[in-house]
Amino acid sequence: MRLITHNMLQCHVKGCNANNFPLELQEVVLEQEEAELNEDFLRNMLNKLEYEALVATCLKLDINDLPATMPADAMYNDEFLQILHRVILETHIKSGKMVCPNCQHIYNIRDGIPNMLLAEHEV
Amino acid sequence: MSQKNPLHIPSPFQAQVDMTPAQKEQEYVHNVYQVIAPHFSATRYKPWPVVEEFLKTMPPGFVGADVGCGNGKYIGVNPSLFMVGSDRSSNLISICAERGHEAMVCDGLALPYRPQFFDFAISIAVIHHFISPERRIAAIEEILRVVRVGGRVLIFVWALEQTGKRDFDKDVQDVFVPWAMPKKSEPKKEKSKSRPQGIKKKDRKKALANDVETAAESMSQLAIQSDSAKDSEDQPVAQGMPVESAPMAQPVEASDTTQPAEEKEIVNPAPSQSAGPVFNRYYHLFQKGELEDLVLQTKKASIVQQGYDRDNWWCILEKTSN
Repeated sequence: MRLITHNMLQCHVKGCNANNFPLELQEVVLEQEEAELNEDFLRNMLNKLEYEALVATCLKLDINDLPATMPADAMYNDEFLQILHRVILETHIKSGKMVCPNCQHIYNIRDGIPNMLLAEHEV
Repeated sequence: MSQKNPLHIPSPFQAQVDMTPAQKEQEYVHNVYQVIAPHFSATRYKPWPVVEEFLKTMPPGFVGADVGCGNGKYIGVNPSLFMVGSDRSSNLISICAERGHEAMVCDGLALPYRPQFFDFAISIAVIHHFISPERRIAAIEEILRVVRVGGRVLIFVWALEQTGKRDFDKDVQDVFVPWAMPKKSEPKKEKSKSRPQGIKKKDRKKALANDVETAAESMSQLAIQSDSAKDSEDQPVAQGMPVESAPMAQPVEASDTTQPAEEKEIVNPAPSQSAGPVFNRYYHLFQKGELEDLVLQTKKASIVQQGYDRDNWWCILEKTSN
């Protein structure tokens, strides 16, 4: 699971509608894997990203490369896009847990795959 | 199920008393895909042209969700996109992830994504596995929830009217469709000549719910239906894997000819081999116009394009409001 995906996930337990993002990463094992740079994708992501949550999540993982706020010229800032690419597309979570800050539901990540299935009574 | 059961239908697939829709889907969809995952995946590699076209017309950099992605065969079709796949079957998702795709295990009725995140989504051969109209609409609504306004969604569902490869009873929309696993074993002798077609509407409750005997009988009949079925991508039985000596080993589809030898080995075993266990998957076969009706009932999307292709009804919708 790439870090970009973490930024799009929220807790979806029935009734858990507030403060359910971002899921808190715990006991995480990371792995870097090279990927082809896709500038169109990165630029499209600028509006979709919850940037603050991304930076906060990264800091907890000791990834300190991203500026605290998104540069005003992010769209055409090659250096920034490079860093963003490395962080959100090349950084993989191989294992760990994601914990909902609201209801404390735990979603496990194993072999790089998050299990977001809920029990029937939670849907 | 007794040991004499010639179809090797394992006990987990016996009908249970008072099953909820979710439990039925668990039994007759999720459990089946979980078990048949490797074999199913080996028969799924050639993108359908309508889906391929849809993905290739998406602007570079668009972000998409493949809800019910199976082995992820559509995720790499357009490398300029970023796609995330999800499926109920962890075994299919493992295959998907091994291929380097972004993939997760989740339920189509409860997607874990932020609202309006995606530029587009696809749902290929998924909605027909939900057991009630309410759940089929809910599945469409859940996809619409995570797509932005203006975003497009491509949906494929199996058609009741299909004529090419299968001939379904046009009065029966809810059916079990068997999936036969390959397995080396002694050929079996039993064979009935009856030609059942799914579960008649009046029998549906019986077959899906309580009476184990009834369910077992339905399953045997349904499995036999696979004997007479003609070739289809969804008919591995017909792809050279006769349960007995039924003469339905038609030439495989053109799309299958590109299959690596190794996979062929699995899908087209030597004639001396008999089939392994047969698993029944629940399908709701869509009538013409039914998919569009469901979409419009959400009041959140308009139909951009629709059509019929490869035994499926499909439509492209555009999200119009949240």
